[in-house]
Amino acid sequence: MRRVLRRRELVTDDVCYPGELAGPQARVVQPAAQFLAALSAGPAAAAAGAILLGPTDEIGPLAAQLPRLTLIVVDFPKIGEGRGFSQARLLRQRYRYAGELRARGAIKRDQLFFLARCGFDSFDLDPAEDLSAALAALNTFSVAYQDGSDAVVQVRRRASHA
Amino acid sequence: MYRYDQIDQTLVNERVAQFRDQTRRFLAGELTEDEFRPLRLRNGLYIQRFAPMLRISIPYGLLSSVQLRMLAHIARTYDRGYGHFTTRQNIQFNWPQLERVPDILADLATVEMHAIQTSGNCVRNITSDHLAGVAPDELADPRPYCEIIRQWATLHPEFSYLPRKFKIAVTASPADRAAVEIHDVGVRLRRGPAGEIGFEILAGGGLGRTPILGKVIRPFLPQADLLAYLEAILRVYNRHGRRDNIHKARIKILLRALGVEEFIRQVEHEFQASREFAPRLEDHEVERVRAYFAPPPYLALADSLADSAAAAPAYDAWLRYNTRRHKVPGYRIVMVSLKKHGEAPGDMSAAQMDALAELADRVSFGMVRATHDQNLVLADVPQSLLPAVWRELEALGLATPNIGTLTDMICCPGLDFCSLANAGSIDIAKQIHARFDDLDYLYDLGPVEIKMSGCMNACGHHHIGHIGILGVDKHGKEWYQITIGGSSAAPAALGEVIGPSVPKDQVADTIARLLDVYLRERHGEDERFLDTVRRIGIEPFQERVYETSATAA
Repeated sequence: MRRVLRRRELVTDDVCYPGELAGPQARVVQPAAQFLAALSAGPAAAAAGAILLGPTDEIGPLAAQLPRLTLIVVDFPKIGEGRGFSQARLLRQRYRYAGELRARGAIKRDQLFFLARCGFDSFDLDPAEDLSAALAALNTFSVAYQDGSDAVVQVRRRASHA
Repeated sequence: MYRYDQIDQTLVNERVAQFRDQTRRFLAGELTEDEFRPLRLRNGLYIQRFAPMLRISIPYGLLSSVQLRMLAHIARTYDRGYGHFTTRQNIQFNWPQLERVPDILADLATVEMHAIQTSGNCVRNITSDHLAGVAPDELADPRPYCEIIRQWATLHPEFSYLPRKFKIAVTASPADRAAVEIHDVGVRLRRGPAGEIGFEILAGGGLGRTPILGKVIRPFLPQADLLAYLEAILRVYNRHGRRDNIHKARIKILLRALGVEEFIRQVEHEFQASREFAPRLEDHEVERVRAYFAPPPYLALADSLADSAAAAPAYDAWLRYNTRRHKVPGYRIVMVSLKKHGEAPGDMSAAQMDALAELADRVSFGMVRATHDQNLVLADVPQSLLPAVWRELEALGLATPNIGTLTDMICCPGLDFCSLANAGSIDIAKQIHARFDDLDYLYDLGPVEIKMSGCMNACGHHHIGHIGILGVDKHGKEWYQITIGGSSAAPAALGEVIGPSVPKDQVADTIARLLDVYLRERHGEDERFLDTVRRIGIEPFQERVYETSATAA
């Protein structure tokens, strides 16, 4: 059983990614492109729920559907992939997505602090990673120079929002 | 200078702890080489030809004497007794042990220093004018803005895994001593209609394999929008910059692929769409940071450079070439030459660092600056002390009177240290020093900038040298491609290749031929080498260099 970090807890995963066999209670994730294609056939055809964003997927076309989504998985296919950080920022800030936002792929504890600050609250890490250590890594820094989605750090009040 | 408060210090301490754990995991086999690489690189640690290389950040080149002493301590304790100042105003140590790097970082943190983002695919050290705050020609001190950008860029959650490295430079002088046109983003201070400070923003400059000068993408940006606009640029780049090919991943390639107009449209769209969430730079924060850069307590001194002359020709030469006018009467800017014959350009021993720190405490308010052409500066020296300062620097081997001359070369570590290099640079520097050791000849030549890189990555900025030298590998042998006509000073220009590369033993000879043409063709002594190249073009130089087949490859 896959173990993931969700809202700062280590839990057994109930998510089924594209290509995986879905159990009865699984939350089934479909690729964003497939979701949009089904949508064009009529809103009823596209199952609400969960989608997978690849690094090049745009957020704009999904904007109207975001209230119907409860899980967005952002893929980090390679070490050093960074586009997902901006996708998360856009989803949380500009598009006000409030559901679960998961990072999955080639990520380790070393990226978790940044991911959380960009708005991710769910993490499916490299299978080799020690998840207890990863959980602790969410507290790597107690201070920051930038505003972030988590309120756990002290932020330099350099900037206020317009 | 800027001093850490509790937030700054905590952040650096926590980064040391994080890196210590990352190093431990690598040494314990919990991280593979591929996994550790991006983690160590973003903390300035390379694995080089013979040993790791650690690059330490010197934000916009500004160092206190306390910090310089710490660099001496690190050179002595963890390295082989010297350090190497770089073209990005940083310092590198070439011989630390990987296991001890966390201890080096902990030592650095005690003097408000670190190695954060000195490498890796993230926003690098912010560079600026090494004469900021003392230059008579600047519009305002650029350093408060450098510090504000530094803080904003440090461990930025969204922009820590960019397609490629990202370099920002800030200048407030029309002479542009920060080379902003060759940076991913260049920031030029400007005054608005009401006299308020704002910025002209350039993007898409860079050297490397594809040298391009930056384009102006915003003629005037209000101060309050500085960080929001940088975020817009970075977001467009982070999302759309190429990640499939390391050689096409810099923002200059994105800008060229989109075209300037489309790039500007995307940045402006992002800027407007993000306004609600983007950081707004408030006046009070600018003032808070600006207060750290208040002028030192200058005395009212007589402006009497002539009276202080020591009546020694060597002193006169040093005074003329290694000092600059200061904006405050009675003071002088002293350039500390790290280009002594026999030494690798930019290298400095621990003993020299300690002695210079002590000298800075006595004569220049305890501050030193690093320049992007690999020298140091004592920025605030009373004119009456110049003869004494000269004698002390002379005794330290730091008074070679060659600033701005042919032997004030920029040089990367090259094949001697760097695992990327195709050819040596330090040997060539020595060859040039040996060939052109006649100071009268150098002075007659006037300002000639030689910049040298051991490979296409162009750490030695060869494209913008008046004479550029690029090391290339030809069937396992070191050859050198020569360019002329480049310049980093506004208006910046990229040099043109004069022809086939030359073998290692003929580099100084080739330069001598270029200089022959210049001396023959120049319109008086006020016309610099660069001006002559611009006026007559490269053909006369090509003819002279290749007139015998000996040098042609």
